[in-house]
Amino acid sequence: MSINRRAFLKAIGAIGSTSLIGRHSKAIAQEHFPGYPDRFGVLHDIPLCTGCRKCEWACKDQNKLPNKPIETYDDKSVFEKKRRTDAESYTVVNRYPNPKDKEKPIYVKFQCNHCDEPACASACLVKALKKTPEGAVTYNKDVCIGCRYCMTACPFYVPAYEYHNALTPEVRKCTLCYERITKEGEIPACVKICPTQALTFGKRSELIKVAREKIRSKPGEYIDHIYGKHEVGGTCWLYISGVPFEQLGFPTDVGTKPYPELTKGFLTMVPAGVVILPALLGGFYMFTKHREQMTKDEATTSEKKETQP
Amino acid sequence: MLKIIRTFTILLSLSFLAVVVLGEIRERKEPAHELFQDATCSDCHICFTPSKKDPCLRSCPRLSKKVIAHSPEEGPEVVILNQLEDLFEPVIFAHKLHAQMTQMGEGCAVCHHYAPAGHIPPCRECHGGPLNPVDLRQPGLKGAYHRQCLNCHREWSHSTACAVCHAKKTPGELAIRQVDTTDIVGIYHPHIAVPDKRVYQVNYKKGPVVTFHHKDHVELFDLRCVDCHREQSCSRCHEIGEKPERAAKTPEEHHKPCISCHTMKTCSICHTQSETEGFTHARTGWPLNRFHQELKCRSCHLMGRKITKLDRDCIACHSSWNTETFNHSVTGLALDEIHQGMDCIDCHLDRRFDQKPSCANCHDDGRVYPKSSPGTFTEEKW
Repeated sequence: MSINRRAFLKAIGAIGSTSLIGRHSKAIAQEHFPGYPDRFGVLHDIPLCTGCRKCEWACKDQNKLPNKPIETYDDKSVFEKKRRTDAESYTVVNRYPNPKDKEKPIYVKFQCNHCDEPACASACLVKALKKTPEGAVTYNKDVCIGCRYCMTACPFYVPAYEYHNALTPEVRKCTLCYERITKEGEIPACVKICPTQALTFGKRSELIKVAREKIRSKPGEYIDHIYGKHEVGGTCWLYISGVPFEQLGFPTDVGTKPYPELTKGFLTMVPAGVVILPALLGGFYMFTKHREQMTKDEATTSEKKETQP
Repeated sequence: MLKIIRTFTILLSLSFLAVVVLGEIRERKEPAHELFQDATCSDCHICFTPSKKDPCLRSCPRLSKKVIAHSPEEGPEVVILNQLEDLFEPVIFAHKLHAQMTQMGEGCAVCHHYAPAGHIPPCRECHGGPLNPVDLRQPGLKGAYHRQCLNCHREWSHSTACAVCHAKKTPGELAIRQVDTTDIVGIYHPHIAVPDKRVYQVNYKKGPVVTFHHKDHVELFDLRCVDCHREQSCSRCHEIGEKPERAAKTPEEHHKPCISCHTMKTCSICHTQSETEGFTHARTGWPLNRFHQELKCRSCHLMGRKITKLDRDCIACHSSWNTETFNHSVTGLALDEIHQGMDCIDCHLDRRFDQKPSCANCHDDGRVYPKSSPGTFTEEKW
């Protein structure tokens, strides 16, 4: 044998790692998902929102969540602190000061953004969360095991958990009124009730055009940014605003890469670690074992030869 | 030769076809076109050949605001919005009242962002159903209404409560009740209390005090609010919260409402050392009598003209007065029968009605008024 053990191991290691890295980068290039072409979305024209909170009422009404009479939603005191979505409210409207006009505060509706490549769905071990071709990220309570990885994975901290429900807790979040839009051909309840039509439901591709046109035609009223077009790889809810989004509580450090992509590199290494590495090491072990056996055998035969001159 | 004739015939038939087709297109005008007879094609359409399938409409004529000034009285008094009746009773919208309020702002254009000469299209003509599923760019009727109303209403009331405009339907009761409009017809903007005067301390050494007699300007000089208060927002007054801080005005902005009538040549008209009294007509050398006192300046100093010295002759204004028509007893002196038939200038020499009448024209016995009177005094002399 002209090659020694160390050189052999080096070579194997180099081949193995290059092949793994190669596979990993290639995998991203190939599996990048541009999103379902006909997915729906909602455009939230933030300057048009008057903070009437009728969407909150309609959402609870639609999803059979504990609700109060619609008149009670006129109460503005709830805006004193920032609210978040929870198991009993899939959407909330928050108030932010308007740097341009003190008298007209800015209201922002917040709910699940229905990412094109949802982090929650990719984190889900049992595929209880699923991105549908219509755009909605839906939840199947029958398979959910309650691990709540989706809640940690979500870049917007949207999914909520029914902590008070000891026996059949569910993960709760906006459904984009999936049943309504697919079976009844309706539009989401929040969009339908919005009195100023600050919410527009339609094909996401169309909405981007609408948003672009609004921004172009009223440059003083809107900043040149459609939030959700690229954020976290694109979301079905799109937002246009008159002030920078970081002033309205939007996370602007989420990047434009889909969240699943961030973990994909690591996760493709896992099978390698679990399957290939033991096999390789096993192989080495067998190989060395075999060699040891061979030398042993050789030694015994030569000994025999020496003893039998 | 034959070739030329053939090409010519083809061209001729093609142009004929084109004329027919274009004529057909013109014939097939949408009913909406009748509403916009003064508009050019490019006011609404972007492309050259709009079709029913692709009308290539402009997203929003709001951007190319085309508005002709109309007076509030031209519009309807009240508009009943019942197209979207669902949860609520029809909205009774006091159109005229709102139109009058806009006179302090941008006028009709505050709401009617497309208002060409002639017919002003109401909201529902462009903004069809409650939602507009075809053209996502244009709000439906529901959105159009609410955006218009709430944009101002929430500015001053900070409320988005439905009940401000909507009366909730009583369940079980049949829809579309006859709406009684009599109680709101003719409601104008409620009377605004006019401040008596404002005294400003200003940074002008030669005249640090400016007394603005606000009431005089309204009641005596007959100025309308809008003559000075322009481009105001409702929230200037209708503000239930903390009053918004107003931006400091430049000297030009301070003088702007005044100089439309007062010239800037003499500062001392407004800028004085101390507070001034309001205007009295006696200052001009002609104290007004009890009848004239009740008049507004513009009753004599005609509207739209600069206020100048007027002829003191009664018939300069009271052109119809003569011996027959003038009832002398209103002056406090009822003439006796003899004097009633006489001409005015027989006693009032040179038509100087503000001076003592003379008896010398007829009586040469040296009698003087009022010692000898040509009738009976009905009350104290004015």
